Amino acid sequence: MKPAPFTYHRPGSLSEALELMARYGPEAKPLGGGQSLGPMLNMRLARPAHLVDLNDLLEMDYIRDAGGMIEIGGLTRHHRLATAPEIERDLPLLALAARTIGHYAIRQRGTLGGSLVHADPAAQLPLVAVTLGAEVVVRSARGERELPAADFLQSIMTVDLAEDEIVTAIRFPRQAEGEGCAFDLFSRRHGDFAIVSVALTMERDAAGAISALRLGLGGVGPVPRRLAEVEAQAVGCQPDAETAARLGRSAAAAISPEEHPEVPAAYRRELVETMTARALLRAAGQEGATA
Amino acid sequence: MSAPVPISLVVNGETYDLVAPPRKLLSDVLREDLHLTGTHVGCEHGVCGACTILIDGQPSRACLTYAVQMEGHELTTIEAVAEGDWLSPLQQALHEEHGLQCGFCTAGIVMTFEAYLRDNPQPSEAEVRDVLSGNLCRCTGYQNIVTAILKAAQVMREGQGA
Amino acid sequence: MTADTPFTHIGQPLPRKEDRRFLTGKGRYLDDVTLPGALQVTFVRSPHAHARITGIDAAAARALPGVVGVFTGRDLAQWTAPLRLAPPIEGLHPVEMTTLPVDKVRFHGDPVAVVVARDRYTAEDAAELVEVEYDPLPCAADTKTALAPNAPLVDDTLPDNLVSHQSFSAGDPAARRAEADRVVEARFDLHRLTHVPMETRGCLADWDAGRAHLTMHIGTQVPHPMRGQLAARLGISETQVTVISPDIGGGFGQKIALYREELTVAALSRHLGRPVRWREDRLENLTSASHARETQCVTRAAVRADGRILGLELDLTEDFGAYCFYPANYMARVIAMILTGPYKISDYAFDVKVVLTNKCGNGPMRAPMAITSWVMDGTIDAVARELGLDPLQVRRINALRPEDLPFTMPTGEVLEDVTPLETLEAAVQAIDVPAFRARQAQARDEGRLLGLGLCTVVESTTYGSAFYKAAGIPGSGHEAAWVRIEPSGVVNASVGLMGSGQGYETPLAQAVAEGLGVTPGTVNVHMGHTDIAPYGMGSRGARGATAGGGTLYLCAQKAQAKVLAIAASMLNLNDAQGLRLHNGQVERRLEDAWQATGISLTDVARRAYLDPTALPEGIDPGLDVSLTYDPPAMTYSNATHACEVEIDPATGRIRIDRYVVAEDCGTVLNPLVVKGQQQGAVAMGLSGALLEQVVYDENGQNQSATLADYLVATACELPNIEILPLHTPNRKTPAGIKGMAEGGIMGSIGAIAGAVSDALAPLGVTAEKMPLSPQRLRALLRKAGNFTHGTTFSDPGTTTTTHDTTTHGTPGNSDGRTNRA
Repeated sequence: MKPAPFTYHRPGSLSEALELMARYGPEAKPLGGGQSLGPMLNMRLARPAHLVDLNDLLEMDYIRDAGGMIEIGGLTRHHRLATAPEIERDLPLLALAARTIGHYAIRQRGTLGGSLVHADPAAQLPLVAVTLGAEVVVRSARGERELPAADFLQSIMTVDLAEDEIVTAIRFPRQAEGEGCAFDLFSRRHGDFAIVSVALTMERDAAGAISALRLGLGGVGPVPRRLAEVEAQAVGCQPDAETAARLGRSAAAAISPEEHPEVPAAYRRELVETMTARALLRAAGQEGATA
Repeated sequence: MSAPVPISLVVNGETYDLVAPPRKLLSDVLREDLHLTGTHVGCEHGVCGACTILIDGQPSRACLTYAVQMEGHELTTIEAVAEGDWLSPLQQALHEEHGLQCGFCTAGIVMTFEAYLRDNPQPSEAEVRDVLSGNLCRCTGYQNIVTAILKAAQVMREGQGA
Repeated sequence: MTADTPFTHIGQPLPRKEDRRFLTGKGRYLDDVTLPGALQVTFVRSPHAHARITGIDAAAARALPGVVGVFTGRDLAQWTAPLRLAPPIEGLHPVEMTTLPVDKVRFHGDPVAVVVARDRYTAEDAAELVEVEYDPLPCAADTKTALAPNAPLVDDTLPDNLVSHQSFSAGDPAARRAEADRVVEARFDLHRLTHVPMETRGCLADWDAGRAHLTMHIGTQVPHPMRGQLAARLGISETQVTVISPDIGGGFGQKIALYREELTVAALSRHLGRPVRWREDRLENLTSASHARETQCVTRAAVRADGRILGLELDLTEDFGAYCFYPANYMARVIAMILTGPYKISDYAFDVKVVLTNKCGNGPMRAPMAITSWVMDGTIDAVARELGLDPLQVRRINALRPEDLPFTMPTGEVLEDVTPLETLEAAVQAIDVPAFRARQAQARDEGRLLGLGLCTVVESTTYGSAFYKAAGIPGSGHEAAWVRIEPSGVVNASVGLMGSGQGYETPLAQAVAEGLGVTPGTVNVHMGHTDIAPYGMGSRGARGATAGGGTLYLCAQKAQAKVLAIAASMLNLNDAQGLRLHNGQVERRLEDAWQATGISLTDVARRAYLDPTALPEGIDPGLDVSLTYDPPAMTYSNATHACEVEIDPATGRIRIDRYVVAEDCGTVLNPLVVKGQQQGAVAMGLSGALLEQVVYDENGQNQSATLADYLVATACELPNIEILPLHTPNRKTPAGIKGMAEGGIMGSIGAIAGAVSDALAPLGVTAEKMPLSPQRLRALLRKAGNFTHGTTFSDPGTTTTTHDTTTHGTPGNSDGRTNRA
């Protein structure tokens, strides 16, 4: 399986890259880690006439403290997200999720920006971006814009990105100190794309009750979703087995997954119910509690 | 568009100058242009891991990389691991523990773990399996490979006086 | 091995000779072999499951720079003969296959044209430009559709899609049914699988026009039969073909037949007068190489109230796909013949149907009889369930005991030197079944589902010529070897096998060393080159150790006899009585001990090659000995597999907590290699039972064409395997050697299915259909009315032997592994 021919461009700076995107836009694809685009090119499912290699743009590989936000460059590799102490400290949900992406070798190359743009409905980083309310920074030769991740991700592998634009950074609101979180994904094998994935953060008040909850689901629709209505139900409750079970049921009821010959919608709902409940308990440090 | 371009690659410390189309995969260039056939091709979609080499010291799929991208980087392939008669602790352990059968997946596993053990000298069995899950083996069932990797890690720690 | 083994070299766990080259990247696999000027091909394949080919326009493709030609079925029909399979077997329809399809395509991926170009990239560009016009036909997407009245015909020369149908009866199963206390029916549905060797298929054909000779470089398990096939299909003599197999990256049965692609490449080389090569890519390998299994069985056991099986009946249906590269009854037949296996059953009948469908054709995949032990032990478990008996007791009451051997199975197969009951008891003891049952009961009270599966395997290996004759299958089971001691005293040997990862080089050297009386390090066994190796039947059906090792052992003994005859004359003895060759030295038995004579093998060799007039009368110059050996009709080995699982009722996920195999494979050439085979076989079986599946939709479209869809187990899905070895030599084979390495697949399929059924038994659910995916288990649980609300059960995903869910809580959560190996 060999890719169709393309003209290869290797810009040395972001402005050069943006110029190339402006010139070749509809016929060009930016190349990040290549872990998702590579297979598509090799199978000729994608056949851009121009490939714009972003890997020299080290200016896009960074983690920056920007006040209440952590700004991460689009070229930052999954492995860095999985292991950097500052991510562990300020965005533990992101660290948890990044560790589960593919395999060790894949994580050396795959990038945050690439994952967001690829927008696989089951992917980890789009789910975390939506759950944490991240902002996606997009640039072109025409200028820069910023939009919430939930708006950026439009549908299955479809994003709000013009033909001449590149995702240069994602801004994540720093997670609250002491906030519990859990990330879980269900797949047939270790490292596979998720059938269903759950991202959850939880803040508790002095009495131990849930004061704030963020719950995101992946793999249950064309894009990852936060279930705001379910989150609201958890506020004020103790994160015990009963609350977890109730939350799980609500989450399952709140989604309408598509039927699929291999993975029935009923099964996805059951997974959501189970995984949401377990994630809640895990985030509260109470794994193994039974109703 | 598919016209060959000059490419200069540094592989195992040596510089190679060749000419290849931009779309030619690194796995094919290594094997065909540089005659380094120790890196194997198993799927060309990044799943099986047989083509894993080191790019700037980190394991990566050669089948998901274009050779032209690798100018300015340092590539390491299986041919660089042993030195004459000397096998690395990992290679030696795989031999002693019968951690290979047909050998087709072996180079990818060696490259992955030469890098991983360098950065993670004391992995648990779970961690080893987690990293190994990126390399498919159809012959061994992985058990002896895991044993070999843990053994190699211990040998390497002892070698460092740890 | 017992401490007082009769062998010096056989049985030693020597590490392998081939490791160094594989570890250092210096193996020579097919793609590593280069010939300057070789062209590359790629195939244009059908996107339809069933369609008439109404036109092929390759003008644009041919015009692409770098393209040498584009050829179709019509071209190949001129250069090659079709494949005709017509063994004289009742109930089996003869079939014929053109080299490439001419009139119609029969499955999604069927090759219709071939592009030859300077490189694969160009060839693929050109392949996209080949315009094939198809007239789609209705497709027989499964056996039910294929057997329905007025079903679309997969093979237009047949009256219907039932390509093979055999029945058999021994004893009086109907009478046994009538007198039984109960007739227990059980069903088993094994899905479609494929071999997935890490190295896909490929070949390099080099036609020498001057000598009119084809050298075919190809990773093949069967070099000589491959040569014969090439010669016959190309219409040339066997003297005009040389097959050379380089190192092979896995075969598992997929690298035996001469497929259309390789024959096409050979024909192209001859037509173009240039070397031509092909590398199958993974998409092709998954969709268009060879598939396997997809078999449904129904058993009816006539039983007494105490669980004794009085009679057994089997109905089997195999979905064979669209093309017959093997006689259609080939794999199904073995299942039916050996089904009763470890149990004392004499009243037995089977009805075996093999059906054509619009899918890639089937071939033997490691353990073609894979379903057998699941079916037999699953029937036993069904009997136990229905009668409310302990499944262990039902096994014991039906088991063949040592005093029952030799036992002639109802199909005429003779079991001797097997120990199925012993392996059952060994496995049961290792598991400590009563303790497990106690744990299981406690877990059930907590709402957790634990299960234990047992599966006893009787594995048929090393099919001898007598087997084929009795079965009416043309072909032989003998093997051939030569052993040549060189003038310098080192030993070259050869046998007609070819390894694809089993690690022959060392164990076969050990067999030669043992038979001859030298050290394995001085022996080099050459395989895979048809001009060098003697005519042998190749590597298949677990025959390597018995047929290959056995023949080499016997041949080496013959060589030793000649060596000693010469040594005797050098010692001025009348004959070689009381002499032996030991580690390359001639020794003499004096005063109850072996004493050195001062004569080495090198001394003998020098005389034989360089001083032949000094040889004794009747001894010819040289030390080059040949021998053929025909093994018994069948050589059986046996095992019992035991598997403990826990099922997460909320997700359907299975976690394997413990896996034990008690295996008796007779005399073992190299225990290190044998253990590797056991581990690999169990791994492949579990991977197939839990994860892998070839999926076709109702339009015959293959939905599992990449390794992201066809799921092969990784290191996180498989348990460590504990092996309890037993060694009962076969008294009819050289050194008591038996085959093995397919039984692991048979046992693991049965053990995991049994474990799941055991776990779900309280819910009235049985695992009848594979793969045992989480969604399938959840569907069974849902139907049984059991749906938990997630938080009731502890999550087994955090401390597991199989890593499936990556569950992470707050940072610092460790996933430890319980390791009982």
